[in-house]
Amino acid sequence: MLRTASSFPEEVLEHVLSFITNDKDRNAVSVVCKSWYEIERWSRKMIFVGNCYAVRPEMAIRRFPELRSVELKGKPHFADFDLVPDGWGGSVYPWIAAFATAYPWLEEIRLKRMVVSDKSLELTAKSFKNFKVLVLSSCEGFSTDGLAAIAANCRNLRELDLRESEVDDRSGQWLSRFPDSFTSLVSLNISCLGAEVSFSALERLVGRCLDLKILRLNHAVPLDRLANLLRRAPQLVELGTGAYSAELQPDVLSNLTGAFSGCKELKSLSGFWDVVPGYLPAVYPVCSGLTSLNLRYANIQGAGLIKLVSQCPSLQRLWVLDYIEDIGLEALAACCKDLTELRVFPSDPFGAEPNVSLTERGLVSVSEGCTKLQSVLYFCRQMTNAALVTIAKNRPSMTCFRLCIIEPRAPDYQTLQPLDLGFGAIVENYKDLRRLSLSGLLTDRVFEYIGTYAKKLEMLSVAFAGNSDLGLHHVLSGCENLCKLEIRDCPFGDKALLANAAKLETMRSLWMSSCSVSFGACKLLGQKMPRLNVEVIDERGPPDSRPESCPVEKLYIYRTIAGPRFDMPGFVWTMDEDSVLRFS
Amino acid sequence: MSEVDMAVIKPEMMKSYIWIQTTDGAIQQVEQEVAMFCPMICQEVIQKGMGSSKNYAISLPQRVSPAMFSLILDYCRFHQVPGRSNKERKSFDEKFVRMDTKRLCELTSAADSLQLKPLVDLTSRALARIIEGKTPEEIREIFHLPDDLTEEEKLEPLKNTTDDPRIRLLNRLYAKKRKELKEREKLKNVEAEEDLVDDRSVDDLLSFINGGDGDSKGIRTSKNKKKHRKRKDQQKCATSNEAIEMHKKESNAVSSLCHNAEVDHELQSSLSETLRLQDAAEIFAPTVEFDEVDNDDEIDPALKEEIDREVEDFARILNSDWPERMQELLSLGQERRRTHLSVNGNGTLKRYGNANAGSIDGNKKDCIVIDVNSHRSMFDVNQREGMTFEQMLSCSMQLVFGLPRVQFQLAKYMIPQTRLCSA
Repeated sequence: MLRTASSFPEEVLEHVLSFITNDKDRNAVSVVCKSWYEIERWSRKMIFVGNCYAVRPEMAIRRFPELRSVELKGKPHFADFDLVPDGWGGSVYPWIAAFATAYPWLEEIRLKRMVVSDKSLELTAKSFKNFKVLVLSSCEGFSTDGLAAIAANCRNLRELDLRESEVDDRSGQWLSRFPDSFTSLVSLNISCLGAEVSFSALERLVGRCLDLKILRLNHAVPLDRLANLLRRAPQLVELGTGAYSAELQPDVLSNLTGAFSGCKELKSLSGFWDVVPGYLPAVYPVCSGLTSLNLRYANIQGAGLIKLVSQCPSLQRLWVLDYIEDIGLEALAACCKDLTELRVFPSDPFGAEPNVSLTERGLVSVSEGCTKLQSVLYFCRQMTNAALVTIAKNRPSMTCFRLCIIEPRAPDYQTLQPLDLGFGAIVENYKDLRRLSLSGLLTDRVFEYIGTYAKKLEMLSVAFAGNSDLGLHHVLSGCENLCKLEIRDCPFGDKALLANAAKLETMRSLWMSSCSVSFGACKLLGQKMPRLNVEVIDERGPPDSRPESCPVEKLYIYRTIAGPRFDMPGFVWTMDEDSVLRFS
Repeated sequence: MSEVDMAVIKPEMMKSYIWIQTTDGAIQQVEQEVAMFCPMICQEVIQKGMGSSKNYAISLPQRVSPAMFSLILDYCRFHQVPGRSNKERKSFDEKFVRMDTKRLCELTSAADSLQLKPLVDLTSRALARIIEGKTPEEIREIFHLPDDLTEEEKLEPLKNTTDDPRIRLLNRLYAKKRKELKEREKLKNVEAEEDLVDDRSVDDLLSFINGGDGDSKGIRTSKNKKKHRKRKDQQKCATSNEAIEMHKKESNAVSSLCHNAEVDHELQSSLSETLRLQDAAEIFAPTVEFDEVDNDDEIDPALKEEIDREVEDFARILNSDWPERMQELLSLGQERRRTHLSVNGNGTLKRYGNANAGSIDGNKKDCIVIDVNSHRSMFDVNQREGMTFEQMLSCSMQLVFGLPRVQFQLAKYMIPQTRLCSA
């Protein structure tokens, strides 16, 4: 077969590899042998870096000279819950600066949970002549001035998506910086912007970008202007409305209904802030074709909500507040047989008493009726082992299961037992489970189940659970494919962590906050494992001002080939050989 | 090539042929419309006027073997017919690429040299599908490629260390104990289960760990009744131990393993049984198999008991104050700690300072040098047993510290340092 290997010219192999786009497959291909490594790295167009501190931009540039698209992630997931103090890091500037010289033909930048300054945006706008896609997901650090630079300079921009970022809204005029000749926009998501944008600029932009498929407006766009926008863009496939409220007037309603009727391609709806229920019927014409409905911010309740959902038999994804209640979920289960993803958010998470009748029964109904269900995020106030076992048995095809019982350490409300058995059934039945979030009263036993059964699990989120280090040990030693583990407020200490230290090099990251990991153990880990960055985050002051056995506030461990980072704020310490000397 | 060209070349004849010489020297005639489907042949005919007679036969490129040419002709013969539907063509293509990988590679290469792009795409996609979802090893296997990359170049996720023999052994022992406990639970009631909900799992664990064979397995069958009583005692012991444990900051099974001599005894004896059957060096390799855990029939019980006792003593001393011990052992240079490491006064575990550690292997801080020679005399065992003790020693140290980079100088056997887990 050596004959074949040598008679297989590089261009042919390159052509074969051009059909392999999946990240994991490309990674596998790149380490097959020297010649494949070379061919793969020269033909690689896109990279995904799950942790921006795992590698330095120069390393990426050296290895992949022909990149067109980069995706980076910065802060750990628990930053979404305000557990990562401001200033921790995750700045994208060093990357953009490096790319500016190395990749003048870079087309796409996708960032998640990173700090993006206006300077970064300006540099992006000026450095990449063919820049097409900018996605800033849960990012922060920039203002509308940075957006203005992008608008003014990126002549070929196709996507500008600011989903859930925090933007310093200085002026709505940035939209008018798109030149009149600019027509290439396909996707625009400004739903996170707080202030008004120049509405006339928006209308003109929407009017001249005939390929616009995705438009997500912000709250400030009033309902009475929505109809005009829709009429200019009947080709829209995804729409996010602005505030969905206005004084109820029949002509406005009929105008809006007419505009929606004209959108024959519409598949996804979102937005719906401050809903006036009388205007809901305006969207009925598009409901039958809807595959995705995001009512996460919609304060629609009762019959109106159920009616809306029941009109969407093609629905595949539904995000909704718990106003839907068990009744609504039953209706959903009866009507939406193609449902693959359900997220139910809490309308009043901090209230002492439940404000809605949403219980475990709702989720059970959905698991019974929706045979294609794969992904669930469910906030509720009560759960039983029996319900979890039923849910587990009904839907073995589940890949992502996140249950958030609002009260920490809540037991099975009928038997007062821990929910170990319920979650045990979940991991035992969901053979393809890749992501799991636990809640409720849980002992070490649930971790034993997880370590035994959850062999494909990649991400696990744990809070207020477990009794001892054995719990953590089960997970670290049992879950072969574990990639990200995040833990808060659990009684896990040093032993399981140190005993499984080598496992940490096979994962992307581990987050532990309000646990019992001592400073001494952190030092030891950092010292022994040079390919891990062991970051101690402690806002009480330097960890060596307390005894070594004192637990650290927060611990973030991630594998890296970039060595310790140098952009840490005053409350973050990296444990490595030098710092150990410094501390002892 | 255009229809005009075709008409110019053969204005009247119904069917004409092109002369082609394959790489084996043989010359054959191929139907014109079929052969001209290949751009390379097309070029030869039109631009160079070749192929019109035997003497001017078109030579195929080297990468097109006769077998491959025949396949390609089949492809051309089918697709050059204009009337076929897309569905038909797709169906033909799907069947066409069903062949072993070697032939597929050859075909791709041949199609490429004939510049037959649709076939190149078809075969390339088929190859890509074969590659997708495979590990690098599998890909190497399929395409017979060498594994010639350095570790640095690989930059790959590290091998998953649930293969680590310590962890596997620990888990296996837990599982075994659990199973044994469950079986015994069927025989009689266990009072420990009346504890609080939250305590149950820890209690269970301690119960089944302590409720295991106090005696070695070799004498299990003859001592069933005694064991039941003993187990009950151990469980009571466990319960009271456990009550104390629960109040400790570091109450977890690993530390309770360390604190409870019985447990250590059990664990160490299992370990010793296992390790007896293996080579010393293999303890460090991730491919160690522990399937022989139950295979204890060959061991002399008396000898085994003696060794077990020694190990138990050693383990108790070593493990009595785990975190502190860890700290002490790993920081360098204080002599007073030597006494903590003595084993029954028969010998000493010396800890060497930097000088010796440095001479062994790279990172000084990684090494603890332990001279096991000095207490070898307490065993009148043969060489094989002695190796076992060291293996037990290293294994128990590993269990206790759970640190991947603690390395041992087995002075007597000059066994070189081996990293337990490759970085």
